[in-house]
Amino acid sequence: MIPVRALRDCLDGVIPGVVSTCAPDGTPNVAYMSQGQYLDDQHLALSYQFFNRTHQNLLANPRVTLGLIHPQTAQQYRVHLTYQRTETEGPIFESMKAKLAGIASHTGMSGVFRLLGSDIYRIERAEVVPGSTLPAPPPAVDPLLALRTCMERLPLSPDAESLLDALLDGLQAHFAIEQALVMMLDPGRDRLYTVASRGYATSGVGSELPVGDGVIGVAAREQVPIRISHVTSEYAYGLAMREGAERQGLGDRLETEIPFPGLAAPGSQLAVPIPGAREPLGVLFVESPTEMRFTHADEDALVALATQVGGLFRLFLAELELADEAQSGTPREPPPAGPPLRVRHYAANDSVFLGDDYLIKGVAGNILWTLLQDHQALGRTQFSNRELRADPRVRLPDQSDNLEARLVLLHRRLAERQACVQLEKTGRGRFRLLVARPLELEDMDPGA
Amino acid sequence: MPAHPTLQLDPDLARFLAGGVSINAGSASATGVPSLCRAFGCRVDPGTGRITVFFAAPQAADLVRDATRSGALAVVFSEPPTHRTVQIKGQDARLEPLAEGDLACVTAYRAAFAQCLVFLGFTEVMVRTLLDCPDEALVALTFTPSALFNSTPGAQAGTPLIPALMPPPATGAP
Repeated sequence: MIPVRALRDCLDGVIPGVVSTCAPDGTPNVAYMSQGQYLDDQHLALSYQFFNRTHQNLLANPRVTLGLIHPQTAQQYRVHLTYQRTETEGPIFESMKAKLAGIASHTGMSGVFRLLGSDIYRIERAEVVPGSTLPAPPPAVDPLLALRTCMERLPLSPDAESLLDALLDGLQAHFAIEQALVMMLDPGRDRLYTVASRGYATSGVGSELPVGDGVIGVAAREQVPIRISHVTSEYAYGLAMREGAERQGLGDRLETEIPFPGLAAPGSQLAVPIPGAREPLGVLFVESPTEMRFTHADEDALVALATQVGGLFRLFLAELELADEAQSGTPREPPPAGPPLRVRHYAANDSVFLGDDYLIKGVAGNILWTLLQDHQALGRTQFSNRELRADPRVRLPDQSDNLEARLVLLHRRLAERQACVQLEKTGRGRFRLLVARPLELEDMDPGA
Repeated sequence: MPAHPTLQLDPDLARFLAGGVSINAGSASATGVPSLCRAFGCRVDPGTGRITVFFAAPQAADLVRDATRSGALAVVFSEPPTHRTVQIKGQDARLEPLAEGDLACVTAYRAAFAQCLVFLGFTEVMVRTLLDCPDEALVALTFTPSALFNSTPGAQAGTPLIPALMPPPATGAP
């Protein structure tokens, strides 16, 4: 039997596999296979691009022999398969479609290679073909050790914000991954928003993508990791963002004011969903200018990390339910001095502008507007996550909403903009509103 | 013995088959289990039009068993930089001893295929390792081409390149 690691390396698209089938009359057929995907130790999927002789044969006789070559050792393998079914949607199909677009672009076959389906096969038997081989080169990073070192720090993080920092710092330090970001899901709007990033000229915190767009959006929608070794324009964010901008009306046009921070010319990308109870909480995304940068082992490690991050996020949410209420009886702080700043809130998309500068929108915009209203009317500066969750003015999409992530976003945006309003953590699930200037609050279209 | 239709390969195609192309051959067992093996070059007999394909015997055990049992053989030739792919099928495959000049043919094939793949970024040692085999372990399957297909990726893949020159015998003939 082939070691799983070797089988996955062979299927990575570096050297095309060869597929042998047989018609009912015994006539053999040999064809090249563009892309394969390891599913589990008993199944793999091959790309179905044309209704050719291979496909006709396997509908009549499901037995297939697949020839593979290991891209580093030159070891040849033969895998004996039985065709089971063809999938034309869902996680396997979408993941293969994204990868095939990359392979097509890399091999000059864009417009020719198009995925009609993912053919699912049962692995009957695998054999090592006798022949000379080369020693496998040692990996640049020991992924298991890197995973262990990176993972050890995560549970020490006291809150969501430091957890994301620990994750992205760990990827940089132990996996030598320089460009990484985390986007969280806004389930009510079917969009993802950036809460943390590393390695870009601007952080991009607050930038958004629709669920389903590009590798990040597809990873979130299908809840499947997507790893592309040759990035193509089909999945590049420049295009997705332009098209998105054209589709949307006036209100949502504001989002383009926070550009997505991705690389202009990425070679490799890997998007891994952060699992939640039902829908994913978000997506961990890494990229590199180098082609074929991320291996199966990197994907495994990032899936393990994302699973732990998802679990810790949910733990934070559960703990907050038990946290204390804010001490609303604390003394009023003296009002700030200086010229007042006009703060506008547009109810159409809950966007908030400080002076003429766009700051944030959506639930995070509502949170800020609620805090500022209470500060203005009651002089309050102390707040708790728990009371915000219950406050109808915040209008959370549902009770299980990831309020923590929205506060991380708001905190980062205020800090990045060096705004006259800041949030400061005062304990688990509690924070203080710091206002450095008098504010004039103006609700622009309260009837909307 | 039934007569198999024969195809004469045009000189351009014969040159393509003898160049630095990737060659893989398939057959199938009596129960329909496909066999498969990578080849180490080929030669086209200018007189008979028969094609001889070379393999490493330890790798080709199943293929040789199946092809010599049924005579059915499919060989696909593909040029990696252009994706030009041709599949040739035969129904009279048989094992033959290597002829004079066949070892030189395999040596030339290794050099041509390595040159082609080095151009695409593979190392020469990688290609030479893949095609490594002691001379005494080489075997040859030879067959008469009976069908020829354009297998270059695309919607046209699978179309016959040229019709058979010798039509099959008419049914019902005395």
